[in-house]
Amino acid sequence: MRPFDYLAPQSVEDAVAALAENSPDARALAGGTDLLVDLKHETASAGLLVDLTRIAECRGIEESADGLRFGSLATHTEIMESELVRKYAPSMIDAARTVGAVQTRNLGTLGGNLVTCVPSLDSGPVLVALDAQVTIAGIGGRRRMPLTEFFVGPRKTALEKGEILVDIIIPRANLGKPCSFRKFGLRKGQALALVNVAAAARVLDGRIAGARIALGAVAPTVIRAREAEALLDGEAPDPTLIAKAAEIAVTEAKPIDDFRASAAYRCELIRALTGRVLNEAIEQAAR
Amino acid sequence: MVIKVEDTLRTDRLTDLKEAGDSAGVPAVARERGRAPQIVPDANQQTPAVGQRVTRPDSRPHITGQTRYIDDMSFPNMLHMKILRSEYAHARIVNIDVSEAEKMPGVVATLTGKEIPVNSFGPSYQDQPVLADDKVRHMGDGVVAVAAETEQQAQDALARIKVDYEKLPLVLDPLEAMKEDSPKIHGESNIYATKVIRKGDVEQALARADLVMEARFSTQMVEHVPMEPHATIAMWEPDGRIKILSSLGRITLGRADMARTLDMPVNRIQVVGTIVGGNFGGKNEITTEPVLALLARKTGRPVKGVFTRKDEFVSSTTRHPFIMDYKTGVMKDGRIVARKVRIVADGGAYCSWSETTLGKGAILSVGPYRIDNLEVKAYAVYTNKTTCGAMRGFGAPQVCFGYESHMDDIARELGIDPLEIRLRNVFDEGSPSPTGQVLHSVAVRESLDTVADRVGWKEQTQ
Amino acid sequence: MDVTITVNGKERSAAVPPETTLLTMLRTNLGLTGAKLGCDVGDCGACTVLVDGEPVNACLMLAAQVDGREVVTIEGLSGFQTLSPLQEMFDLFSSFQCGFCAPGMIISAKALLDKNSSPTVAEVREALAGNLCRCTGYTKIIDAVMEVGARTAAGAERA
Repeated sequence: MRPFDYLAPQSVEDAVAALAENSPDARALAGGTDLLVDLKHETASAGLLVDLTRIAECRGIEESADGLRFGSLATHTEIMESELVRKYAPSMIDAARTVGAVQTRNLGTLGGNLVTCVPSLDSGPVLVALDAQVTIAGIGGRRRMPLTEFFVGPRKTALEKGEILVDIIIPRANLGKPCSFRKFGLRKGQALALVNVAAAARVLDGRIAGARIALGAVAPTVIRAREAEALLDGEAPDPTLIAKAAEIAVTEAKPIDDFRASAAYRCELIRALTGRVLNEAIEQAAR
Repeated sequence: MVIKVEDTLRTDRLTDLKEAGDSAGVPAVARERGRAPQIVPDANQQTPAVGQRVTRPDSRPHITGQTRYIDDMSFPNMLHMKILRSEYAHARIVNIDVSEAEKMPGVVATLTGKEIPVNSFGPSYQDQPVLADDKVRHMGDGVVAVAAETEQQAQDALARIKVDYEKLPLVLDPLEAMKEDSPKIHGESNIYATKVIRKGDVEQALARADLVMEARFSTQMVEHVPMEPHATIAMWEPDGRIKILSSLGRITLGRADMARTLDMPVNRIQVVGTIVGGNFGGKNEITTEPVLALLARKTGRPVKGVFTRKDEFVSSTTRHPFIMDYKTGVMKDGRIVARKVRIVADGGAYCSWSETTLGKGAILSVGPYRIDNLEVKAYAVYTNKTTCGAMRGFGAPQVCFGYESHMDDIARELGIDPLEIRLRNVFDEGSPSPTGQVLHSVAVRESLDTVADRVGWKEQTQ
Repeated sequence: MDVTITVNGKERSAAVPPETTLLTMLRTNLGLTGAKLGCDVGDCGACTVLVDGEPVNACLMLAAQVDGREVVTIEGLSGFQTLSPLQEMFDLFSSFQCGFCAPGMIISAKALLDKNSSPTVAEVREALAGNLCRCTGYTKIIDAVMEVGARTAAGAERA
């Protein structure tokens, strides 16, 4: 890699100050599994790397008043091994397990995955399905927003220059909400998603409530299939309804043809996977 | 000790361990499985080592991380080389300007194709430049080499090299490349090797067949992806010999190519082929050895060059894509009486091992079947893509896909069991190959029967 | 910058530019060439080492990020005349051909066995998914790891 300077601040405030001072040449370093690759391929450049991994506030997974809080530097392995995540949002474990391989999961972070923001990111759909919020910090202070607003476009987030992601929160109301995640890639490991999908829903008095369907890799960002959700809310779950919702979800997506798969094949995957995750979420609700 | 293994493991070498009575403790996994049937006992009696377990003498260095591959080696004062590769798949090189690159920090020397004494090499046709000088013919073509104190400095210098190209029309499809009016990559025709095999009278035999089936089968380009990228270190000995340590597999051929390209007597060239991290055919010919030798001479220092993984994909040789047209005449009872095959081997930009691949592919293309009337026409064709060369099988895997898929189609059409139709046609002891070689130690029938037995073919297909 | 790492139980230091990866520091500055450069972007696993007991791609960590931490490389698993049980099984089963993937593969397998002494085949596959091998087809590698697991379990049963 081309030469750069390196800082490892211990606090969010020091980190954003360093990024602001050295803008636009400074980049934030988390797990390095995306940034270092980009630097090596020269699709990114940096005069200074600000290593966030020593910032205690950005680490860890805890239950807070707001809900389940993930420090942005929580690794995929930490998510997989967290008792809290197992208790409150186990589908996040299913998603984390599909990222890369053991070595990259030990380095790669939830925040990094969200900030790199490729349309197929694996940690996106579940968090969108559970209405996650994110906290952003910059020298001007902090702000919070829904994750759906954080995703702006392919490789583009709401982060302004010099801002970092501090944490991700699943709201208290959605802790334990039935949720399921499925990914389809060309291999069982170390594979990008051709399509990834998460669905969450409660079943109250025999009726679906709070349906969420999040589709990844089939639009510029992770999207909610809102029409399909609207079809489900208030209805009794049954196979015909689920199949119809899956069909509608297909129409709400905009998959592309690329060397990995055709748009048509992706549509088949959306239909099949959406059906499966809805059924699984509903089954969970029944338990 | 009983172990439940959830996955299906091959049993034969575990059975070997059991038979050898290994004193370290035979894995219980082996005890749970049956014994493989013996095949070819005569050979076993002549060479009692066959079937015995051996421990590898290089086991310890490999599993303790002590093995030194080329990139693990370093010499005092060593420089690092990087190569600027072509921007275009087909273009004339109008001008190369290295002046800015040579001023970059750490850069000690550059090298272009014009500085290579004889800028052509290849195992059958010497159509490949060491570094492209007049034309680039695929995007992996090396154009300029830089030697610098560090790899990063060499890499940075590449960005300062100015090459002026005049783009030429491309041809990427081998069938297009065969046409008269296609852009020409070398000389006057893109068809550079032809193999024809004829036996009996194929047209007559097709005419009297009960059924004639035709199909086209295609295979794709495959990259070896050896875990170890190509790596070479070059240094001049005080007695005026060039010493090359390389991941190159064919040392004798490598020395001959270096003697040619460097215009030196072969006895002044020492090539040390070291432990290699995977070859599979992709390291069967020289790549940057002459470049490193010349840079080592220019600088008076050892120079190391290691392919990046991108270089491996774009520049190192790959397996030939084959387009195979089969036409087979068969009788109602499944006996093949005639087979015609046309093979078009997409050879990429340079010949490399295409002739060998084509020859082998052609001979094997009719399959291991007794066919008295056959015709094979095989062509190697240039395209503006990564050079295709040697890769395990040399044409055999491609044609196997062709003739076996075709056999299944024929079986289905005739309503004959796919195993049965093969047993009716397969080679026997003493059968002649398509080129007339009388075959011995033919075990095809026994192999098919053994596999059928093991997988329960009869039960599954009833 | 000065980076100090405890490598295979010994404190080692080097002055390296900040952009130096852990892999480069190990191979070039510390002479530990067991970890290999296969792709440089964390796809192949040939560079796998343990950092604080966890397997990581050394090519994707900066040496600076490992300052003050513990690293175990393939060289740390065996003495000159003794092999670890896992390496014994790799030898017995000939779980390698060219040997290039072996250091990374063994480190990943060791990391698994340290956490899960008798894994299932599925668990072995998941643990080794980040280590590519182009020679063996993986079956003998899995056999070797499973055998270590089996012998550990047998030892525990007898005890």
